[in-house]
Amino acid sequence: MSDGEFDFDADELAMLRQLFRSEAQDALETVTARLLAGGSARPSAETLTEMMRVTHTLKGAAGTVGLPAMVDLSHRLESALAALGRDPSVWKAETADRMVEVIDGLREYLDHPTEPGADAAAAELRTQIDHIARPNRRAETEPPAFVEPPPEPVLDSTSDPASDATSDTGPLPEPKAWLHVEPERVDALMSSAGELLFDRTRIERRVQLLRTLARDLARTRQTLHEAIVDETTARPAKSLLVEAENALAGQAALLSQTTAALLDEIEALRRTIGEVQRGLTRIRMESARSLMAHAARTLRALRRATGVTVELRTVGEATEFDKAVAEHLVDPITQLLRNAVAHGVEPPEERAAHGKPPVATITIRARQDANALVLEVSDDGRGIDTAALSERLVATGRWSAARARLASDADVLAALLDTGISVRGEADELAGRGVGIGLVRQTIAKLGGEVKVSSTPGKGTTFTLRLPLSTALALAMLFKVDGQVYAIPNIHVVDTTLVEPHATTATVRHDVLPVLRLDQLLGHGAATDKKPGIVVSFAGKSLVCTVDKIVGAREIIIKPLGPLLAPLTLYAAATISGSGKVQLILDPAQLVRRTHPDAPVTSLGDPGSVPVVLAGRALVVDDSRAIREAMTSMLGSEGWIVDVAEDGARALQMTRQLRYDLVVTDLEMPALGGFELIARLRKDERFRTTPVVIITSRASPEHRRRARELGVRALVAKPITRRKLLEALAAR
Amino acid sequence: MTELRNVIVFTVGAARYAVELRWVREVVSLGFVTNVPTAPPALGGVCNLHGAILPVLDVNVLLDGVPGLPARQGDGALVIEAEGIVCALRVDQVDHVASLYETAGAVTDATGRPLVLLDPARLIRRALELVTALAEHPT
Repeated sequence: MSDGEFDFDADELAMLRQLFRSEAQDALETVTARLLAGGSARPSAETLTEMMRVTHTLKGAAGTVGLPAMVDLSHRLESALAALGRDPSVWKAETADRMVEVIDGLREYLDHPTEPGADAAAAELRTQIDHIARPNRRAETEPPAFVEPPPEPVLDSTSDPASDATSDTGPLPEPKAWLHVEPERVDALMSSAGELLFDRTRIERRVQLLRTLARDLARTRQTLHEAIVDETTARPAKSLLVEAENALAGQAALLSQTTAALLDEIEALRRTIGEVQRGLTRIRMESARSLMAHAARTLRALRRATGVTVELRTVGEATEFDKAVAEHLVDPITQLLRNAVAHGVEPPEERAAHGKPPVATITIRARQDANALVLEVSDDGRGIDTAALSERLVATGRWSAARARLASDADVLAALLDTGISVRGEADELAGRGVGIGLVRQTIAKLGGEVKVSSTPGKGTTFTLRLPLSTALALAMLFKVDGQVYAIPNIHVVDTTLVEPHATTATVRHDVLPVLRLDQLLGHGAATDKKPGIVVSFAGKSLVCTVDKIVGAREIIIKPLGPLLAPLTLYAAATISGSGKVQLILDPAQLVRRTHPDAPVTSLGDPGSVPVVLAGRALVVDDSRAIREAMTSMLGSEGWIVDVAEDGARALQMTRQLRYDLVVTDLEMPALGGFELIARLRKDERFRTTPVVIITSRASPEHRRRARELGVRALVAKPITRRKLLEALAAR
Repeated sequence: MTELRNVIVFTVGAARYAVELRWVREVVSLGFVTNVPTAPPALGGVCNLHGAILPVLDVNVLLDGVPGLPARQGDGALVIEAEGIVCALRVDQVDHVASLYETAGAVTDATGRPLVLLDPARLIRRALELVTALAEHPT
């Protein structure tokens, strides 16, 4: 079957399959949860029906997205469930385990349904599924829903690259993690994002106003200069001084108003950003439930593999975790469970001898305290023998005998985390594979958390994982200077290159970029060797930073530097490595400023959307509010700071306080009409040549003549469009 | 003579200092100390303390302007909190929790040996001043 037989193009199909995968994973997770809830007992008829419904839905969806093998597997699973529902005797003690195994297999298969080797996996799953309900019979009696030729086992998936290209559906992009989010959470976030736009517009306007003000101040200074040198014969110095004083008064008032308004607007922005962050955090949260369900499966597998009987108790399933964190917790929890089964839990006879219940219990507790998420994995086993552990530390050369003598029990337990050393003499299968306890500590440290272990001989062992409440993950480019690792946010890293010794510029893709010698700024690098360079781009400016060694892009946790380090603007934040070392994150804005000293402190977003030329301050006079708003928006996007007045009288009042670089006025208004307003403005020295544009619904020849007399730049007929307005402004 | 209870006595180099226990959050052994290039000498580096970034201060620089030993992994440190800032003071040895006695401005311990009673709030303000000054006038 080829993609051409579907109603979708390749991209759509890929997307639909991603959606299906996500949906199916959830559906299968539900089935597993129901199975696990019942232990090894046969599920109720209702539960079986529900499970059949889920698999049936899956079957339909799999067909829609063109995964026939999945249709077949769902169909078989549905049939097996039906058989189990019909005949209670089919259910055996091990059936639940088998089903969980099959569903785990299906979930794994779903991640790569079109890769080479998937057919073999599907065949294997088919056998397993058929085995569930008919352990004692042969599987050939029932015809499958889809008959496929028996697949050849794929021994080497790379041996024939052509087969990849011609396989039934072609390769899919790498599966991406999908977030399942309640719509309300997204809606809340969208409205916050909308608010951000308003905040930005308000602040941009103020910034433009400040620029105009800077220009005004320069003019005032020019007036003062003229008064001082007294070269102009046209006007006496005194008159110039009075004018400058008046102007300064207005400008000072405007400056303080603008600053106050700007502070308010920045406060509003801060609130909105806070909302966005909270909204994103809520989107990323998931309950500990799926983590616990995974732990239950792991424990079942361990039980089968070792024969050690252990009960799992879970507490705090509703505790919410950052999804990114939850994913990373799967391996550590698995390792801790293995560790508990391999080392913690005693054989039943030994337990009985100590007056313990014969079946051991492993408890996973999730909770949130004031500043951390806490996950505890505890067993009621024999506890850690610190004396034996200490001996092993010495025997393996990790500790000196003297250190071992001085060490407290807590020190010895801490060493267990550092080294992941095993207490048992010989490495058995369980303890010898997978990530060690040391890796648990590393994984948790990478997430910004910490691991503690406590143990009471004869009573049990508890591993406590503490994780930060919110985790800001980001991709960063890591590099070394003087042996120390630093990071730059990867979003601002565009390339890497090699920089010649002593070079002050480097050519990257035909662009000559300035070089910032980070190896010298952060360390004692000598400029005698070629150095790796990281090409950083921020707000449209690029540079090359020389470093000792590029480590590569990694996902990191962002940690605030705190108030004491905040003044060191070179650093934006820090991160903590897997081994617990602090690594500093450089602020790309500061790097750019060092090579482009004239660059503005902040960019107003995408340079393309920012008005190219700052136009100045405009006054819009119209008795219609809608028109005032429309004009404000149009002029605002052309770079004008816009004030509005509802009639000529109000406008006249405003022009006494401030000078405008453009007046746009209606003609017919209460109190004072447009022509009257213009005539009066022209009598004012400051407005003698100011461009004026008339917007009107009646542009008669008489109007035109009068407008010409008053030096009006253009008449624009309502309704106003952006194009008409731009033409009028461009007119000379 | 006035008595000041609950102070923690420690040494840095040859000098003996004391700080009231109420400012001290923890006595720790420092993890890996990351150097912070461009920071003033008063800031000996940063450490990971329970997953947060902990600045490590040099008491000698803050009091006399003379740098002491650089902070290294395994060094002892007092984690103090004042002025809303949590930071660590590198110490050579933490002696004990004791009472101090003040007579005519001179502070001594129970045996009559003199020592310096630190004001953590002032130390932290000083550190902040030094960091800020350097940030405003980068070399």
